[in-house]
Amino acid sequence: MRRAAAGLLLALGVGRWGVARAQTDRLAGRLPEPTHAAALALIDSARAAGLPADPLVNKALEGASKGADGPRILAAMRLLAHDLGVARDALGASSSESELVAGGAALRAGVAPDFLARLRHEHPDEPVVVPLAVMADLVTSGVPADTAARDVLTLARAGLREAQLVEFRRDVERDIALGAPAGASAAVRVSAAARGVAAAPATPTGGTPPRRKP
Amino acid sequence: MPDREDRWIADVAAELRRPVALSAGFDARVMAALRAAPRRTPLRGLWDWLREPRVVSFSPLGGLAAGAAVAAVALAGVWMAPRPAGPVAAAAPAHPATAAPVDVAFVLLAPQARSVAVAGDFNGWDPARTRLVRGAAGLWTVDVPLAPGRYTYAFVVDGRRFVPDPAAPRAVGEDFGTPSSVVTVEGGAL
Repeated sequence: MRRAAAGLLLALGVGRWGVARAQTDRLAGRLPEPTHAAALALIDSARAAGLPADPLVNKALEGASKGADGPRILAAMRLLAHDLGVARDALGASSSESELVAGGAALRAGVAPDFLARLRHEHPDEPVVVPLAVMADLVTSGVPADTAARDVLTLARAGLREAQLVEFRRDVERDIALGAPAGASAAVRVSAAARGVAAAPATPTGGTPPRRKP
Repeated sequence: MPDREDRWIADVAAELRRPVALSAGFDARVMAALRAAPRRTPLRGLWDWLREPRVVSFSPLGGLAAGAAVAAVALAGVWMAPRPAGPVAAAAPAHPATAAPVDVAFVLLAPQARSVAVAGDFNGWDPARTRLVRGAAGLWTVDVPLAPGRYTYAFVVDGRRFVPDPAAPRAVGEDFGTPSSVVTVEGGAL
């Protein structure tokens, strides 16, 4: 029995080491050496703190691909690690990597951590990637951060599905592109979307999602 | 008395042993009748054997054993039969769509471009891995399968110029001086 438990632990350890190695291997040859070593140390620290490594690796690769210098890449990685940590504290330790990435983007856009915690509290058993992403996207479109967060919470509470939230975001962006004030557009669209959900019959879910554009 | 019976039996035997006088065409008629009869093939013989009623008897123990064997064969057939690949409601995870990749179409109108690629979180920010194909009027497109999640990306025009997607939300912040875009792939939740 002890041998089996030891073997299982060893296998798990080897598996985790293999995943970590694969993540950091992606940086090999993409960063100059001083930056590479510092990036690996930063990733190890984040991993030790229970944060996902892949987003940090992706940030480093983005910087390398865009020709950024080492200090700038490391600064961006540190900022992202901080955002991921705050997002993890607000959303809970069991949150997925995608949720932390989307939560980090919402925080970076200016959404207060309390809104993330409320979203998780109201939807404890569902992925909240899309609501968090819509919050961030609305803010970058010009909607004030508190307004965007409050609107998304309202719509999620009203029962909007992910696709409807994305449609709401597109409607607001279209209004803004046509010259409407961002806050006013969001307010009008929130009322319309909430009324639509209340009036619409229940629709079946599932099936193969269609091909889509960003 | 016994002598008389013996002689009578001997007479009957002699009569039976006496060759039968057949008409001259008897053999030919028999052979013709045989040739005219329908030939019995092995398959026909098997069919006749199968159709012939028979009485089969076995002990109660043998009957139970035979029934168990039939049930075992039927269960094995059900167990080994191929199952449908699609999700089955009872066996599906709570959020079945969270792992299924979706084809996302990346599109850029760039009539003057000689090459367009897309680099992002989904391909290690390596422009060489995902090139767009030029269509009519300089419309460049590519489909990339993405699992649900949020990805940052940018187009790379002519191998060096990073361009955000004009049809997608901008990524928050410009960490490296050039803007990127984001795509959020839904998972079918909420």
